Amino acid sequence: MNQIKTLFFATLRDRAGVKSVELEIPLQMNVADFKTLLIEKYPVLSGLINHTLVSINHEYVFDETIIPERAEIALFPPVSGG
Amino acid sequence: MTTYPTIFSITEDELDLNHLLEQITLSSTGASAIFTGMVRGTTSRDNPHETVYLEYEAYKPMAEAKMKQVADEIRERWDTIEGIAIVQRIGKLYPRTPTILIACTAAHRDTGVFDAARYGIDRLKEIVPVWKKEVGPNGEEWVEGDYNPQLGE
Repeated sequence: MNQIKTLFFATLRDRAGVKSVELEIPLQMNVADFKTLLIEKYPVLSGLINHTLVSINHEYVFDETIIPERAEIALFPPVSGG
Repeated sequence: MTTYPTIFSITEDELDLNHLLEQITLSSTGASAIFTGMVRGTTSRDNPHETVYLEYEAYKPMAEAKMKQVADEIRERWDTIEGIAIVQRIGKLYPRTPTILIACTAAHRDTGVFDAARYGIDRLKEIVPVWKKEVGPNGEEWVEGDYNPQLGE
């Protein structure tokens, strides 16, 4: 199993009710399957997940990306800084 | 070869525009384009409304890495740029308060320095993970961007 840390920001953090969570996921899981797993754990995120950005270790990733071991994953809405 | 100063940070402190400009001014510098954005209390365009304050948050380590990337992209596009400063203030910020500074320096004003600063703020709003929650007289709402970064961004 792969021990990973997941962070939520902005709308996703408010909705999930947590800033971060440590999870064990299968090795070689991709981001699309990880999103499915997260929605099972946090059904309140289901309406948001399709326009959520995902990063792994501070780089943007996409559905087909394989999650490396001990990754730091972050989920957040499109950015609105400035 | 001269090493040009590049400053990028997320801070909760007040932005000191003069100090930042001083840090990116070399003896060869003759021009600077400075963009700074502030909290707007009254919005007239599009959806007119009042803002009491904005609350900014950042994913700090990734935000600083992406600010560095924006600075690198500026240097790839304009080899005339000397210093670059990109600083985002976060926390609870009230109208008229500067929230962001992007400044580029160069030897002369006709070197692309204006375009470089413009590119910097536009790019920051696409890829740097910072968000703001807008609090108005009748409630609060997260402001969402509309850009989806592609692979390698």
